[in-house]
Amino acid sequence: MFSRRIQVLSPFLKHFVNRNARMMATEANISATSANPQSQGENLKTFEIYRWNPEKPEVKPKLQKYTVDLTKCGPMVLDALIKIKNEQDPTLTFRRSCREGICGSCAMNINGSNTLACICNIKKDNKPTKIYPLPHCFIVKDLVPDLTYFYKQYKSIEPWLQNDNIPKDKEFYQSRADRAKLDGLYECILCACCSTSCPSYWWNSEEYLGPAVLMQAYRWIIDSRDQATAKRLDVMQNSMSVYRCHTIMNCARTCPKGLNPGLAIAKVKALMATA
Amino acid sequence: MLQTRLGLGALRQGRLLFAVKSFSTTSVAKIFPPPPQTIKGTVNDAAVFPHHSKLHGSYHWDFERIIAIAMVPQVMIPLFTGTSHPLMDAALACTLITHAHLGFESCVIDYFPARRFKKLSPLMHWILRGCTVLTLIGVYEFNTNDIGLTEGIKKLWKS
Repeated sequence: MFSRRIQVLSPFLKHFVNRNARMMATEANISATSANPQSQGENLKTFEIYRWNPEKPEVKPKLQKYTVDLTKCGPMVLDALIKIKNEQDPTLTFRRSCREGICGSCAMNINGSNTLACICNIKKDNKPTKIYPLPHCFIVKDLVPDLTYFYKQYKSIEPWLQNDNIPKDKEFYQSRADRAKLDGLYECILCACCSTSCPSYWWNSEEYLGPAVLMQAYRWIIDSRDQATAKRLDVMQNSMSVYRCHTIMNCARTCPKGLNPGLAIAKVKALMATA
Repeated sequence: MLQTRLGLGALRQGRLLFAVKSFSTTSVAKIFPPPPQTIKGTVNDAAVFPHHSKLHGSYHWDFERIIAIAMVPQVMIPLFTGTSHPLMDAALACTLITHAHLGFESCVIDYFPARRFKKLSPLMHWILRGCTVLTLIGVYEFNTNDIGLTEGIKKLWKS
């Protein structure tokens, strides 16, 4: 009786928890009140953006300053970047797509925190906003990181359903309890904010899979419809793929979707120890 | 700053004569400059896992956890009872030094990765093993020909 009511409420509770987590993840970039008095209807904000051009590799990267009038700009950092590109400097380069936190393209380091530009509010104070690409990555240009190895690692965990008895002519059913285990895992948008905030991934990104890929590995390991659980756990039995995680937990702190990759990795370690 | 410290403040005006580069301009990147990006296979191939072995994977992890958990009673018993026993000292020495060795080994694996430091990485591992052996010999000597680990630690507060 009570468990049913809790089940009915759990989606709302989950949404509330996730929303709070997202707010905490970006709290450094939110200011409830404006500290800058408006003068003549203008509200100027300086953005210091990392610039590097591969066509001139001998020129060292620098922080270039742009000034944006916030009264003519949307509230998110991505709005400001698009405005700068349209009006001030068309050579500024960054990735973006959905503009609402679903695609993970506009991941970058804003005011020292890895987050998505599209869901990061412009901080309403007098200090300039510093924007860097994701840290400890090779850079294609400006704010575009080279995520080649990130995607290669994602491919290596074989993120698809592996089962020899997939039913034909109907859906592959799964119980509600088994489906609930995937909550908090399938929402990952592979923005690489958590992996590039992990010091272990900085040192050993060629061999350590990183929190994002490991969380997706866990997602397929515990999927009740998947038959390759033993194989998935066995390929990670080495000292580098999983065990370079030292529970620093930067991943959970910085995830713009409010997920917890560190918890998933802990469960992977437990499964590897018992399997 | 260096000029002032050496009593050469008068030469500050003539910087061309005294081109001293201070340590603060040394870049960390010059110590271990980042290597160029290398991708094994094509950009569309999956990354290759290292050789899988439970001895390096979950068995090693289990061993680390067992050592850490085993240290708890070996520290608590002498702490609360105040007594010391040679066998307990020996067991504590073994677990403590093994725990320290595993911790430092993790640091060596992280900061001197084998794929990048072909010669320095094995050297660091062997230096660590040498230090561990020396520590074992020293603590064995301390436990047999001296007052032992527990009494030694206790003496820090009562000597």
